[in-house]
Amino acid sequence: MRKYFNNKLAIALFALPSLFIYSIVVAYPILQTFYRSFFEWDGLGEADFNGLQNYLMFFKDPLLGTSLKNGFIFAAVLVVFQIGLGTILALVCSDPKVKGRKLLKTGYFIPVVLSVTVVCQLWAAIYDPTNGLINKLFQMVGISYQQNWMTSPYASIIAIAFVNAWQYMGYQFSLLYAGVKSIPEQYLEAATIDGCGKWTAHWKITLPMMVETFKFCFIIAITSGIGAFVQMLIMTSGGPGTSNYTLTYMIYRYAFTESEYGYACAISVMLVIISLLATLIINRAFDREKFSH
Amino acid sequence: MRKKMTRSLSILLALILTMSLAACGSSGSNGEKPNETKGDEAANQTVKLRIYARYFDDDTKKPYDYAVAELKKEMPNVELELDPYVQDGGQKLKTYAATGNMPDIFDAGWNDFQVFKNSKNILELDNEAETAAFKKDLNPGNEAKLISPDGHVYGYPYSGIEFQVLYYNKKVFEEAGVQVPIKTIDEWKEAIQKFKAKGIIPLSIFAKEKWISNSLYKGLAMKEEPKGYGVINEPGVTQLPDAFKTAAEQVKELQEAGLFDANATNTNYDQASALFYQGKAAMFINGQWEIYSAQKNMGDNVDWMYFPAKDEATYENTKFYLNGTGESSGYAVSATTKHKAEAVKAAAFIARKYAEYKYTQLGNPIVSIKVDKPATAEAPAMMQRLITETLPNIKGFSGIVSPKIGNVIDDNTQNLLVKGFSSDQFVKNLNRILEQENKK
Repeated sequence: MRKYFNNKLAIALFALPSLFIYSIVVAYPILQTFYRSFFEWDGLGEADFNGLQNYLMFFKDPLLGTSLKNGFIFAAVLVVFQIGLGTILALVCSDPKVKGRKLLKTGYFIPVVLSVTVVCQLWAAIYDPTNGLINKLFQMVGISYQQNWMTSPYASIIAIAFVNAWQYMGYQFSLLYAGVKSIPEQYLEAATIDGCGKWTAHWKITLPMMVETFKFCFIIAITSGIGAFVQMLIMTSGGPGTSNYTLTYMIYRYAFTESEYGYACAISVMLVIISLLATLIINRAFDREKFSH
Repeated sequence: MRKKMTRSLSILLALILTMSLAACGSSGSNGEKPNETKGDEAANQTVKLRIYARYFDDDTKKPYDYAVAELKKEMPNVELELDPYVQDGGQKLKTYAATGNMPDIFDAGWNDFQVFKNSKNILELDNEAETAAFKKDLNPGNEAKLISPDGHVYGYPYSGIEFQVLYYNKKVFEEAGVQVPIKTIDEWKEAIQKFKAKGIIPLSIFAKEKWISNSLYKGLAMKEEPKGYGVINEPGVTQLPDAFKTAAEQVKELQEAGLFDANATNTNYDQASALFYQGKAAMFINGQWEIYSAQKNMGDNVDWMYFPAKDEATYENTKFYLNGTGESSGYAVSATTKHKAEAVKAAAFIARKYAEYKYTQLGNPIVSIKVDKPATAEAPAMMQRLITETLPNIKGFSGIVSPKIGNVIDDNTQNLLVKGFSSDQFVKNLNRILEQENKK
């Protein structure tokens, strides 16, 4: 085995094709995006260097406030539903006494494999203000509250974020479940012997020991939320107006409808920076040493 | 020895894989370069031209097939290879341009013309013999379809200036006791209450597509300002003129009166048209091209009306100022085509024959060019009414705006259709973009 890993030339050569493809398909476009963000460019013709003008425009853009706000709301909804609910379900499914655990585990993952278009159309029908399931259920049980879920300036972003949370909760659940199962049973057995209740044991032992799993899940949820796009595009086209815009939607608008590719590249760079900042904050918040006993 | 062989074979395999991946990029998957002539060695020199054209339903397939069949008689040495148009905001074409793979002929509009002009991917057709002939045969009022705002010709249009009208269900109107036509905003508000009392949606609108809410707003704005959007696309106009503020207030009043379905901004064309055709909505807004579908689905039970105005006098005076934009569009020619003469001639010919089909076979008079053949198809009653009553009396169309201003109008007119967005916010947002774009 050692001999195999000592053969660096062979390793390098075998890795070369993949590295080559990665460089062309991933690394080069990223570098180009950063480079082009300093230009005024329509995507086709000559690019004019304009320094930091695109970045200054970004901070003055009237769409920025709405996009950032929506991104953080989206991330918050994902955290609550995907991680919060996912953790509870993972803990429940880890208990051998729960009947139908296998069926539940499979069931939670089914929405993940569905097409995002199908899921969005399904929820668009559920959210319909006149004939949708939710408003009809309210009517059936005598609740007078009716909501126009996808046009309300306050409810629509939460409603759309919930669609993503619902679809990919199974993915987070599978990560969290793996995290729960990776904890040696001796710790929980010792806690039980010492008279600790099940949920107290989870709170004091399981969850702190899952800090690395939570860190990863939070990074996925928050960066997905900040850069959300697909559900807005399919369900409301970012509307009504621009009320459901996010940073990614801004990139789409400026690049593909206004042909301002240079500015769109600058927004992409800012999106990456914001996501990296979020990742840094999460890493600090979930510093392992804080949670070790 | 064996190990050495294995090692050498492994290195060789890795190198072969790498080389084959690099080689893949140089030979395209379709194995042909669109602008190359095929059969150079053939005595007849067939010229193959790639054409990016609309070809997705009967409305687009039949005129195109007709035009191609006529082209075979006129230019037998030219063979057209169809690359179907995709409704993606011009992205496919722009990708072609970026990769140096432009079709020889392509159907596009002014927004794309500008982008391709700046990147030198489109031919200026000003001095072509075909252009002079086209100008001579142009239907009056369609100059803006051929000549772009910068004074140049980039494409040969086939359709005339299209516009939107309000279709209405005669039976629903009769049963609700609403007089036709609705001439004023106040009459419209009264009608809304009558329809709502009967559980009928007053106006079905596919406002998931922002352009239609823009059209509705523009239809009302033209009553206040007959020059339309041309007025706000001028340098120095940094505040929204009063006419457009009034139109925004009118849309808001109508929204508050209940003109639109609660889910209007999430309704697509199929849903909105179904509501109208099934008698669940009293009115429907769409272009005059909807006449054929409306007639087919509703027979004599459907007709159209002009947009209402603030009072009857204004309604009568502005009836023939229509909300079509008339921006330049049509079949353009790539600057990188290797067969310029054939491509220009073919583009102009296809546009003419496309228009000819629409006029003769569909009885649609809204085409760019005069057609010297008689119409063989009988135009539907609603189209007959357009031909006799409206087309001879058209006084003007709305002008166009820049893509940035257009996007903001799209966003904010869609916003006007929902609760919680005021006409003041509309004005504020428009003022911001006008200040940004029109500052001298």
